[in-house]
Amino acid sequence: MSLPFIHRSAMLCRGFRASLNLYDHTTTIRLRTLCSSVGEANTGILQSTEEYKFVERLIPPSRVPIPPKHDGPSPSGWTPPSEVPPALPYMIRRSRMHNVPVYTDLTHGSRKTTLVRKVEGDIWALEKDVKEYLQQLTGKDLPTQVNEVTMTLRVKGHFDTELKEWLVEKGF
Amino acid sequence: MSFTKKTGGKALDILQNLPRITLANLRAEPGTKKAEKKRGRGQHGGNRSGRGHKGERQRGNRPRLGFEGGQTPFYLAIPKYGYNEGHSRRAQYQPLTLNRLQYLIDLGRIDPTQPIDLTQLVNGRGVTIQPQKRDYGVQLVGEGAGIFAAKVNIEVQMASEEAIAAIERNGGIVTTGFYDPRSLAVLCKPVPFFLSGQPIPKRMLPGEDMVPYYTDAANRGYLADPEKVQKARIALAQKYGYILPDISKDELFHMLFMRKDPRQIFFGLSPGWVVNMVEKKILKPTDDKLLQYYNS
Repeated sequence: MSLPFIHRSAMLCRGFRASLNLYDHTTTIRLRTLCSSVGEANTGILQSTEEYKFVERLIPPSRVPIPPKHDGPSPSGWTPPSEVPPALPYMIRRSRMHNVPVYTDLTHGSRKTTLVRKVEGDIWALEKDVKEYLQQLTGKDLPTQVNEVTMTLRVKGHFDTELKEWLVEKGF
Repeated sequence: MSFTKKTGGKALDILQNLPRITLANLRAEPGTKKAEKKRGRGQHGGNRSGRGHKGERQRGNRPRLGFEGGQTPFYLAIPKYGYNEGHSRRAQYQPLTLNRLQYLIDLGRIDPTQPIDLTQLVNGRGVTIQPQKRDYGVQLVGEGAGIFAAKVNIEVQMASEEAIAAIERNGGIVTTGFYDPRSLAVLCKPVPFFLSGQPIPKRMLPGEDMVPYYTDAANRGYLADPEKVQKARIALAQKYGYILPDISKDELFHMLFMRKDPRQIFFGLSPGWVVNMVEKKILKPTDDKLLQYYNS
């Protein structure tokens, strides 16, 4: 039962290949038509360096690529950092994947915190600004924790989308 | 502006001016530590230590979990049914949202000027495929269809209708292709495969259950009739209410129409070839039987 099915699908496939002029014929199978051979090796092997460029396309890059230029936000919502760093007493660098380093955390199943990493400069000024901004947003005075050794700021509650937008607006 | 970092900052300044920290100086923040309840120390001499009065409760001899006093318990009354039977042998397709695809293109991790393949997606670290865990590839999911704005030639293993509509609306091409587990492993990690010195295998055709999927033009299957695919593109445009852009007049026309042969795993490389990465050469067989096998 399965044999005629496979045969039919193979026939189908061959039939379509013949009728199709959309396939990339220059580089597909039909080995007899290809006649590039650089240096004949021992018994019946052709060597070629012309198709090696297709292999180079398959090698994964080992460095994170630099994003292309965008004017303002891109279609997916990603915004590049501004050319000139903002004139503030603190600086928040982008992560190695070029994103804003604000992360949410959930400990003990119900303890929500937001973490702002990669802060440089006066972290207390950032803490003051964040508290003021979240006071306007929520109306509550949220507990924050500053870690001067790792230069991070932790805020109680999940505010990652709000803080990311706020930081991007500032130009970080 | 560059900021010089003084590790510890103001906290270190304060510490240096305060007296030495000892156990006598430290205490927990009020409200963080709650006093533990001591058993058997309550009013009237404690007595039962929170165990109740006599019976199985106090004596610690309660029956097993789920026992309902003799009544047929819930977990035995409900009949068995094979909802999860063979779940570990089912094919899985890692979802790829259009949101994520747009994000990868915007950040330059995927090049839209070249055909997008599963290898390109894995190289751009867009998806993680585990061929050994019954993954059969990637499926395109329609989330983010509203913001998608890239013209791409993408080849996936499954695609939802909304995703196909969103890509074709922007002048791109979607194809669904089948990869058997060995070909998938080779496709996801080409470099270790080339270093192993094996010839590129030929891609197998789908099994009986997947042939209807890949021969259907509505799914843009790689085995479907191209005329039917064109009709399906027009029908989908009418269904979703957009004008189908004419790709034949595009400058990237040649790239957009690049498609793989059903037996081919990589663009530009045929089955049967051996890749020598050290000397940057490709070795091709010339024996008739081998050629016949790899060309079938």
